[in-house]
Amino acid sequence: MELKTFRGGIHPPYQKEATAHKATEDISLPAEVVIPMQQHVGAPNSPTVNVGDRVEAGQKIGTSDAFISAPVHTSVSGTVKAIEDRPDFTGAPVKSVVITVDPGQHTRWADRKDTGSLTPEQIRDIAKEAGLVGLGGAAFPTYVKLSPPAGKPIDTVVINGCECEPFLTCDHRLMLERSDELIAGLKLMMKAVGADRGVIGVEANKADAADALSAKLAGDPSIEVVLLEVKYPEGAEKMLIDAISGRRVPPGKLPSEVGVLVQNVQTAVALYDAASTGKPVIDRVITITGPGIKQPKNVNVKIGTSIEHVIEQCGGLAGSPGKVIMGGPMTGWAQKNLSAAVAKGTSGVLVLTREAVDYGAEQQCVGCDKCLDVCPMFLMPNFIAKYARRGQWEMADKYGALDCFECGCCSYKCPARIPHVAYVRKAKAELAAAEKK
Amino acid sequence: MANQDFIVTAPPHIKSKEMVSSGMRDVAIALIPLVAVSLGFFRLYALVNIIACVGTALVCELVMRKLMGRKATIGDFSAVVTGLLLALILPPTVPFWWAMIGTVIAVAIVKELMGGLGYNLFNPALFGFASLIILSRLFGPISKSLSLGAIDGVTSATPLTFIKTVGSGLAGLRPGYWNLFFGHAGGAMGEVSVLAVLVGAAYLLYKRQITWHIPASIIGTVFILTAILGKNPLYMIMAGGLMLGSFFMATDWVTSPDSKVAQIVYGVIIGVLVVVIRLYAAPTGAVAYSILIGNALTPLLNRVFVPRKFGALKEVA
Repeated sequence: MELKTFRGGIHPPYQKEATAHKATEDISLPAEVVIPMQQHVGAPNSPTVNVGDRVEAGQKIGTSDAFISAPVHTSVSGTVKAIEDRPDFTGAPVKSVVITVDPGQHTRWADRKDTGSLTPEQIRDIAKEAGLVGLGGAAFPTYVKLSPPAGKPIDTVVINGCECEPFLTCDHRLMLERSDELIAGLKLMMKAVGADRGVIGVEANKADAADALSAKLAGDPSIEVVLLEVKYPEGAEKMLIDAISGRRVPPGKLPSEVGVLVQNVQTAVALYDAASTGKPVIDRVITITGPGIKQPKNVNVKIGTSIEHVIEQCGGLAGSPGKVIMGGPMTGWAQKNLSAAVAKGTSGVLVLTREAVDYGAEQQCVGCDKCLDVCPMFLMPNFIAKYARRGQWEMADKYGALDCFECGCCSYKCPARIPHVAYVRKAKAELAAAEKK
Repeated sequence: MANQDFIVTAPPHIKSKEMVSSGMRDVAIALIPLVAVSLGFFRLYALVNIIACVGTALVCELVMRKLMGRKATIGDFSAVVTGLLLALILPPTVPFWWAMIGTVIAVAIVKELMGGLGYNLFNPALFGFASLIILSRLFGPISKSLSLGAIDGVTSATPLTFIKTVGSGLAGLRPGYWNLFFGHAGGAMGEVSVLAVLVGAAYLLYKRQITWHIPASIIGTVFILTAILGKNPLYMIMAGGLMLGSFFMATDWVTSPDSKVAQIVYGVIIGVLVVVIRLYAAPTGAVAYSILIGNALTPLLNRVFVPRKFGALKEVA
């Protein structure tokens, strides 16, 4: 069978062997958690607790009235120690609630109840109340995506089980370990948007997960498991829709334009958990891996746990760590130190050695055009970088700066080691600033 | 676990192993068959010129970058490639110091004075070659007294001489296709064997250092246009430097356009120029002139032919 895919992209070494076959583990609680008031795309929350307050795990501690936002809940029971700005995983200061963790935790969710009778409206409310956001990394509020604009009917809900980022395996594990919940979550999403068809897109290197899901779906014609070529960025929303349906989302538009909704594996599982037990998003599965980690693992972590604590639970750092990355190696955020807290959109912690991140200095572009060949958006990354370097932002946009979703294929491929993504970010910021004027 | 400072950069945090030097090295490797055939045919002539050109290219790059206070880039193999290519597009009997002058123009002026690899507008080797043709005419009388000989037509009968005469009584004298394909001593060193060029080209295509777009559109255009004009198309694509130019010169990373559509347009333009110049002007250097004109058009082509973005409708450019 020919595997479905998109045009462009790269084949980096996947390096998933260290954790792909390791079942998800729980880790010990940290002494304190730091819950940022903004862990999503959209408006930040305001804290609804004060210093000294006692809080119970799952209690809402930050809300916002804005449409595009997602409330936050405390992941642990404890006492509010401070409310202050803390650098988040991007390094930017974000108002955060610091909670001292109680030694005894008695989190109890309701017993699972049937979700079959929920209405689309109720499903959206559940997603909103649970603070559910895209757990694949984008962290876009889920209930907003479950509320498609009028006149744009959604016929297909796609679950992104590609996990195309090298090293990461948490979605792979979830597809294996929680396939029932994943399927139930997908059905809730289909109901919320009125779609008849569900698709779970899985890269061919996770055939065991695809088989497990297919077995559970036998006799259910509404949901199909589709095997996709192992290629980065297969799981990028627009690429995935193209690969599965042949529909191409126009520049600057959302997937609803072509009648498709894409959600990550973990988001679907979390939606079902919230709908069936009332549990909000207070923990998630992440992959701790890389040559700089002593015991790579997939772990279930409370939101707000510092990556220092998580790494300690995985045996600590090994060798000569050079880069600590929150997320995958292609799009993740490099950390200056280990203080950042795991947020809803954190998919992993990757530690690379000093030698591995010594790529050599940036050189002049030699016009090899390889960045054009790999760009899944068919942009001209060479010229975006060239004009961004000169400060000619309009020209950078002509060659696609604003259409770039920063997958990093160009920089990965570039023989001259040009950091295109850094230039794109600069161009986007400058163009946005110019727009405001 | 001390909170030491780790490296912070924008993503991606992993890179492919490809480097500029590995690309240039592949070009040098791809030229090995041609160099070998040239050495076989021209022996000492070839050896002396290749050493002179490559040596001069390396020295020029080293000295120029030192003078201009730039980082040494001798390790990127581009000087080696320029030297090799220039040696190969010159006739073997060109005095080595003429070849060295061409190399100085190519590397010191066309490449390094423009800013170094990546900044040059023209293919250094071709520009050096074209400069030598002009200089040889300029200094024709002097060079004759110094018994240098002219650059073009220096080897008594280059296969290109017969292009315009196909169909006439002279046609019987021209070399056959198999000679052109496997090996024929006439014209420049790099024109001896189409097979040697194709073996190298196959390597570059296999290593994905070049794509088919530029060479196919040049060779295709030359073939079709020659046929339309009633000349022998097969002879036209096999004789002279067309194969070498199409696969090794026109595909030069720096001086060729970037999008596939622009590359095809570029190839067609070069192909038309080759036919027109060969048939209606001077056959020697036609490929070089055509590619240099194409180089000059590259910035324009890059602006005009921007690929249609993913999902963009047809009417939106």
